Amino acid sequence: MAVSALWRRMTLGDRLLLFVLLALILITLPVTRSQGKGARLLVEQDGAVLYAAPLTASGRWRFQGPLGESEIEVAHGGARIVSSPCPHKLCIALGRIAHPGELIACVPNHLLLRIEGESASSHDLITR
Amino acid sequence: MRRVLTLLGLLVAALLLRQLLFPASYDVRRSQILLGTVVEIDLHGADASRLEAAVSEAFAEIARIEALMSPINPSSDVARLNMTTAPLAVHPETASVIAFGAELAQKSGGAFDLGLGRIKALWALESETPHHATAEELAPLLRDLGPGDVSLTDIGMAQRAPAVAVDLGGIAKGYAVDRAVAVLSRAGEVWGSVNAGGDIGFVGSRPDRLWRIGIQHPRQAGEVLATLSLEGGAVVTSGDYERFVEIEGERYHHLFDPSTGEPARRCQTVTVVADGAMLADVLATALFVLGPEKGFPLVESYHASALLVTVDGAVHTSPTLSGVTWP
Repeated sequence: MAVSALWRRMTLGDRLLLFVLLALILITLPVTRSQGKGARLLVEQDGAVLYAAPLTASGRWRFQGPLGESEIEVAHGGARIVSSPCPHKLCIALGRIAHPGELIACVPNHLLLRIEGESASSHDLITR
Repeated sequence: MRRVLTLLGLLVAALLLRQLLFPASYDVRRSQILLGTVVEIDLHGADASRLEAAVSEAFAEIARIEALMSPINPSSDVARLNMTTAPLAVHPETASVIAFGAELAQKSGGAFDLGLGRIKALWALESETPHHATAEELAPLLRDLGPGDVSLTDIGMAQRAPAVAVDLGGIAKGYAVDRAVAVLSRAGEVWGSVNAGGDIGFVGSRPDRLWRIGIQHPRQAGEVLATLSLEGGAVVTSGDYERFVEIEGERYHHLFDPSTGEPARRCQTVTVVADGAMLADVLATALFVLGPEKGFPLVESYHASALLVTVDGAVHTSPTLSGVTWP
């Protein structure tokens, strides 16, 4: 009732202004909700973040794990493990990651490299 | 002045309406190495602090299950059970996991087995020095294997046959995923997923569409074999390409056939869709050993469905599998 009474009292200009305001709110919705951000590399160990920086920050870093020191390289928008004390070196064999959602895990040395950001993948998850 | 106030009121009302119709949505995504694999939890909801707390609680829950059921942890139920041949009182959750595994061992005709610890230790595929086990070495370890080798007594105590060592590797991960999903579901109006190295459990349904889950191609790294569209439940894949070593040019993987003590040779990969991750985990292991002809009826008897690739590269789907799209 109150809304219809208010609507009747509004002039054409008021209604136009209201329409513009509502349209603006709806148009800006995807922008304000997406909270989009560039791809960042996270290096984690036992739930703690050891390193977090944009993939554009090139360099080499060393991290201590239970088996010894692992070295990672960030270059040309990607990251990889270049040396590891783990027995099979599977983490090195996994190669380079460069896209949001990709990760490299060195299970024996408790090291996790993960790229965070808006994923362009058409899948929510991959089962393997 | 009155007009300005009216318009300001309208603006506030419109903003409130937007918040009501399109509440803010947060996404908490974290990973940890647990259960010998990477566990990823992704949770969406309207209350960021509640999401953070729920995800932390879910990881703690998985760590708790690992402490109970890891064969490496010397104080776990599994390690203690492997140190004695007498019946042993174990945590009720360990007992229920053993009971379910023993049931599947029976129903799969021994294709699933909770007593493969010594076989795995002999091959040592995940160590620095993997070993090609010979038939002579395997024979004494196979003697006590089979349905009933790990079981519960009438009063719920766990027991094992003397020549076997308990290994819950084919079931505990699925159970831990189910527990994490249960913990996350208590956080209210949330949706998301728990992915423990390919054992995936869903927290509710996506609000916008079905879940799209890619199945890794077993022989083409980075390629998807098929896509599953799922409303919820769980999906688990067991493949010969994730954990394997090559000894003298031949591939040896971690999924053993309890009848031979050798890596199972019928399949390259198996994916099971079920209501829960523990069920899907066990069925995937059994199906990998059995192959489609004997395995699909077992899967269907538990109202689950499956897709597998046999060793010759042929793709098979169980009769009730739906929602599959091919690339």
